[in-house]
Amino acid sequence: MPQVFLPLVANSAGSPTSQRIVIDPITRIEGHLRIETQIENGRVAEAYSAAMMFRGLEIILKGRDPRDAWIYTQRICGV
Amino acid sequence: MKSDFEEKMEKQGITRRDFLKFCSVMAATLGLPAGGGKAIAQALEAGTRPPIIWLEFQDCTGDSESFLREPTLINLLFDFLSLDYHETLMVPSGALAEKSRQDTIKNYAGQYICVVEGSIPTANDGVYAMIGGRTARSIAQETCGQALATIAVGNCAWDGGIAAAFPNPTGAMGVKDALPGLSPLINLPGCPMNVYNLTATIVYFLTNNQWPALDSQGRPQFAYGQEIHEHCPRHNHFEADRFVRAWGDQGHQSGWCLFMMGCKGPRTRHNCWQVKWNGGINWPIGAGHGCIGCASPKFWDQLSPFYNPLPDD
Repeated sequence: MPQVFLPLVANSAGSPTSQRIVIDPITRIEGHLRIETQIENGRVAEAYSAAMMFRGLEIILKGRDPRDAWIYTQRICGV
Repeated sequence: MKSDFEEKMEKQGITRRDFLKFCSVMAATLGLPAGGGKAIAQALEAGTRPPIIWLEFQDCTGDSESFLREPTLINLLFDFLSLDYHETLMVPSGALAEKSRQDTIKNYAGQYICVVEGSIPTANDGVYAMIGGRTARSIAQETCGQALATIAVGNCAWDGGIAAAFPNPTGAMGVKDALPGLSPLINLPGCPMNVYNLTATIVYFLTNNQWPALDSQGRPQFAYGQEIHEHCPRHNHFEADRFVRAWGDQGHQSGWCLFMMGCKGPRTRHNCWQVKWNGGINWPIGAGHGCIGCASPKFWDQLSPFYNPLPDD
């Protein structure tokens, strides 16, 4: 199996005032969150968030007995 | 004269009586004979603190919530354990979180317990759960591989759980299938797992220096040895053909058997009827709803629709 890998720190080449900082995982939340920030001259210029986990519950629910839906959707988040 | 142990406990507001009660609850959960609580108390007083790395993959944090439902139990447990890594509870984030995990692996190789919550996706090279830029499977391989033991908590970490329900869009697997051959591996299925069973499993190890006996599915016999139906407080109604036939009918109000409303107790082996939930307050059948069979293999597909009665067999 090939290794999938996402870089944690990817500094922009050639610019000392521009930097990209990645925080992954963000802890003390439910779920797996990744935040990427683009920093220009010491200030956050851009920020991106990504949910790093997917189960496809919408796909799993299709075709099931509607009376059961709550039991499945309850498992989206247990907090 | 108070021992160091007693002083440490008292500082946290835990009395000698609380501690001994905890030990006897553990002995009862493990099905130990009289005096079992005393042996546990002696072992815990003398014991060390094994570190725990708690990994979360394709999960809902329900097992962690179940774990935290019992504050007294958890306060006591943290005197015997050191929770070094838990994404939802730990202070460090990002690279520092990763460092906590790496430090424990390096400094306590072969001595820490790895708890896994949630399934491990394998489709598309495992991109469906990534932490710190790495796939769930590679983190599990590294962390479980060097652990003293791995405890897979909840249905998802056991057989893939809800993420692995048809059509399993992400190729989700439990630890036993994603990391074949991993040993020792203790499975505590249930959606969620019961905090008493996790605590009792760890306490059993701290007392006996070995893990509790497992069944053919890798589950401790003390918790999964008996069928819910056989021990159900409504079982007499089943034998007498007194069934609930509609929600709120006379039978439901009288606490009759929930079989006709889809109860999966006859297909489920778990000790809910004994240890119950939310601090021993109640359990689904006690609250008037059938069992959904959450400790059974592949229950999302094999025991649904949940409100249809089981076929006669």
